[in-house]
Amino acid sequence: MSSTPRPGPRTLTRRTLLVASAAGLAVAATGCTSSPPVAERDTVTGAQASELAAQVAVQETLVGAYETALAADPSLAAAAGVLADQAGEQLDRLRAAAPGSSPSATPPVDAPAGGDARAWLRTQVAAAASSHADAALGQTGARAALLGSIAAGLGGHEARLA
Amino acid sequence: MADDETTGTAAEDAALDAALAAEHAAVWGYGAVGAALGPEDRGTAAAAEAAHREVRDRLITLLDARGADPAAPEAGYELPFPVLSPVDAAALAVVLEEGVTAAWVRVLDRAVERTTRGLAVAELGAAEVRAVGWREAAGRTPVTSALPGLPTG
Repeated sequence: MSSTPRPGPRTLTRRTLLVASAAGLAVAATGCTSSPPVAERDTVTGAQASELAAQVAVQETLVGAYETALAADPSLAAAAGVLADQAGEQLDRLRAAAPGSSPSATPPVDAPAGGDARAWLRTQVAAAASSHADAALGQTGARAALLGSIAAGLGGHEARLA
Repeated sequence: MADDETTGTAAEDAALDAALAAEHAAVWGYGAVGAALGPEDRGTAAAAEAAHREVRDRLITLLDARGADPAAPEAGYELPFPVLSPVDAAALAVVLEEGVTAAWVRVLDRAVERTTRGLAVAELGAAEVRAVGWREAAGRTPVTSALPGLPTG
């Protein structure tokens, strides 16, 4: 493409699109505080801490669901193995964001009924995504960003499992 | 932008404005995406472009209502790489959706209004679902992302 008049073309590189957007996300990713507004956003209330701990439990249940589904239908591994790994990565990030939470005694996830492990797993993923999305609304700062991102990631999983 | 540094929504408004800029870029970029796709896939690109137009218009209305000065589209954009094939088009769509996704995650980080977080969660989710389809079309692996919009590493 040729150049266009002032103020000049904007190149749609990842850098162009993401640099500005990501500028504030060092904060989002780490929870570091660098200014009063950020500190204010990242001040966690007791209710928010409890809610975040609850989302850790939701994610633990989902990770268990992936394990159950893959055990019930090994042919799912090709399609869902990466998804299971990503669910584990999400759990790690949630635990890091909620350091006060301890691994809960997550009840065992029932094996999928009727043998349709994929459909069952998709239902589990959708439920977790919805739960994280709802929880993001009650959080602020880095915690809201993390929960929203995880919810979106799981939305992608759900689409992949369709 | 309005002089809103003293208001409680200054950071939120700035993040929304950045999201608007990303939506402007997406609307423009999908024109190039659609032009390089085969007829069977143009509907998908058109639907995505329409979705971004809708969000763009919603953001303009929102920022106007707050007395802010919504970002205008750039005078011009350059493609990050030549878009000569359907695979190139899908790769560009991935860039567009990931740019939008990062912008909406930042909105979540900066938002003070619950309704803004609701908007961000919805648009972030929609963009990631579109990105999954485009990553597959572009031959990317994995096609999903654990933490869309958040910096990696």
